[in-house]
Amino acid sequence: MNEKIFIVIPAYNEETVIQDVIREIKNEGYDNIIVVDDGSKDRTCEKAKEINGITVLRHKINRGKGAAAKTGIEAAKLMEADIIITIDGDGQHDPKDIENLINPITKKNFDVVLGTRLKNPDGMPFHKKIHNWIANIITWYLFGLWVTDSQSGFRAYSKKAADLINTRYDRYEYDSEVIRELYLYKLKFKEVPIKVRYTEYSKSKLEKQNIFNGFKTLYKMFWKLVH
Amino acid sequence: MNYYNFHLYQAIVAFIAAFMIFQGVRNYLKGKSGQTFYKVAIRIIVWGGMAFIAIFPGFTNALAKIVGLQGNVNAVIITGFILVFMMIFKLLSAIEKLEQDISILTRKDSLKEIQKK
Repeated sequence: MNEKIFIVIPAYNEETVIQDVIREIKNEGYDNIIVVDDGSKDRTCEKAKEINGITVLRHKINRGKGAAAKTGIEAAKLMEADIIITIDGDGQHDPKDIENLINPITKKNFDVVLGTRLKNPDGMPFHKKIHNWIANIITWYLFGLWVTDSQSGFRAYSKKAADLINTRYDRYEYDSEVIRELYLYKLKFKEVPIKVRYTEYSKSKLEKQNIFNGFKTLYKMFWKLVH
Repeated sequence: MNYYNFHLYQAIVAFIAAFMIFQGVRNYLKGKSGQTFYKVAIRIIVWGGMAFIAIFPGFTNALAKIVGLQGNVNAVIITGFILVFMMIFKLLSAIEKLEQDISILTRKDSLKEIQKK
């Protein structure tokens, strides 16, 4: 494989797991890693910098997962990436799946590959499944494209897709906005089942995405359509 | 429509709505970033609907009958409501713009390190 592959990790307050996440990705043979510390209050940035050979960027203030992912993608583009993977910084994604996300781009000319948790939802908390289904329906209604996991942060983009997709949403609405861009630019995409590791840590992170944040995300999606 | 009963507030609402619709359509035609057809359509429906009700207030009676409410709306309350609505709309737009600008600045700042290399 001659493509220059970059892994982007948006991270906020992940000091306890960020080094493990980076090492796991390195162990899978991916060395071009960009960590975007989204204004963490803990030592996420310092912890990431302790690992040699990776790029660590820092948002001086917290701007949200979407903004951090976009910063990482812009950085990868500056570093002439051919394929860009985004992966969550809390360790819920298994880096072994990266290859499954890359293959449709390199072998079948897909533009974007979406990792989907709902094709293999073992261990996913019930309320999370409901949350994802509601998000999928809203994303479909607002942005016109049905996908099985509109909120997954584990995705792969070809250079063409990374150049075309121009997101403005800063927080969790970002994941749905990417779906809108797929529809707008008629990008060829594929959904690939991914494994999700629901550890106590990642579950505690998920709890923070409670129903109120869900409503906030919904409100922002509607608002940005109207104004 | 009875032209003799045409009130000033109706003209003001119609003017503001026309201005807001014009701005949205102009931005869309200019291809200004973030202006989608969907947004323009919603803008036309919201502001157009407001202008329609202001110009044809009799429509609210028909609406009140359909919904099952007794419509007796005070013009002052409507005007106040529209003004507050407008202010909130503009305020939220301004906040949104600021939020986006902050993100762009934060991103530029964090990318400086790569651009130096």
